[in-house]
Amino acid sequence: MANGPGVPSEMSVIEDAERRGRTGRWPLWRQAYAQGDPLPKLTCRVSRPTYRFDEGEPLPGEYKELLIKMLRHEGERAGNKSFLGLMATCLDIAEALFPTAEAKLLKAEYLAEELKHAIMFHRVAVGLQHDFALRDVPYAHYAFHLPRETWADDAYFHFFVDLNGAFHARDWRESSYVPLAKMSPTVERDELGHSEMGYYFLGEIVSDRRGRELARRLLLKWYPAALDMFGRSDSSNTPKFIHWGLKSVGNAEIREAYKTYVDRKLAALGLEPPDERAHRRFL
Amino acid sequence: MGEILEEIRRAYATVGITLDVPAAYGTYYRLLCAGCGRMVGNVGDRLLPGMAAELVAEQFDLYASGLLGCPCGHQSERARQLDAPRWQAARQRLGD
Repeated sequence: MANGPGVPSEMSVIEDAERRGRTGRWPLWRQAYAQGDPLPKLTCRVSRPTYRFDEGEPLPGEYKELLIKMLRHEGERAGNKSFLGLMATCLDIAEALFPTAEAKLLKAEYLAEELKHAIMFHRVAVGLQHDFALRDVPYAHYAFHLPRETWADDAYFHFFVDLNGAFHARDWRESSYVPLAKMSPTVERDELGHSEMGYYFLGEIVSDRRGRELARRLLLKWYPAALDMFGRSDSSNTPKFIHWGLKSVGNAEIREAYKTYVDRKLAALGLEPPDERAHRRFL
Repeated sequence: MGEILEEIRRAYATVGITLDVPAAYGTYYRLLCAGCGRMVGNVGDRLLPGMAAELVAEQFDLYASGLLGCPCGHQSERARQLDAPRWQAARQRLGD
């Protein structure tokens, strides 16, 4: 779709820019999806009404409240200063701690892709409530605030935290909010790729004895935070999210699917998953 | 956030790391080597109460052995001053 004769649309320009960024390695989601669907199916098992709301349609009060709550938590909005601050920390890490020129470039591609998401979620925010688009919402969960003092910390951050985003985006494929359902495959794919980037870095880190020991120790910091990101199993809001079609499964179920996924990947690196209850804050 | 931030400052001071001014719109802080000023990482101000001290304490062996901390060796030296026998054991176990 063009904006005028000979003028490419915004999306085709972005797609072209992304294509030109492709290398043998980037984007890392390609290898993952080439072997089949890497993520588990998240299927709603409770009976619920079928809702479907598109942008501009009147939304029930509770629905809108829950949707904004969800998007506040997600955070990747161009108008969210705290998201841009988080991205700046990634730039700082890339500049100060990068192990190789290739790793630094991968981080640059990662940042570009996250900023693409920021534009996509900005559009959702504007379509939902104008003043939400510019609202600063600092990430509330401690996983976004854990110290990153080595490339290994940063690799875990991406492996675990971006994967959390991929799982939630997978769940949005069935979302009753049409704009979210439409963008979910792209967000899921990209976030899975970001997680694979972290995993690729981890693979390099554990290839020598000291790196393996470092990764083993730091896993004790990141693993509980990763599981805690899914919230409490008995969250009182979860049944409401499921009722309205904003989520398909509860916190415990999505966390369990995530745990199965990460445990298998960690084992493939020779890392033993820690006790799932150790150092947990939100069970 | 003030109390948590103070906890983070105190925890990192024990191993010779200071917090820079808030980076990009606040919330996040660069961690700087107190010895030479080099950036050694970053941290956010929404850690849970008690978490910063716990994390830094659990990373003692990593600072001691140089797996964490500045290449100038300041954090390792601080670890030696804090607990020389543990520092030595960590270096034997995790050193080059």
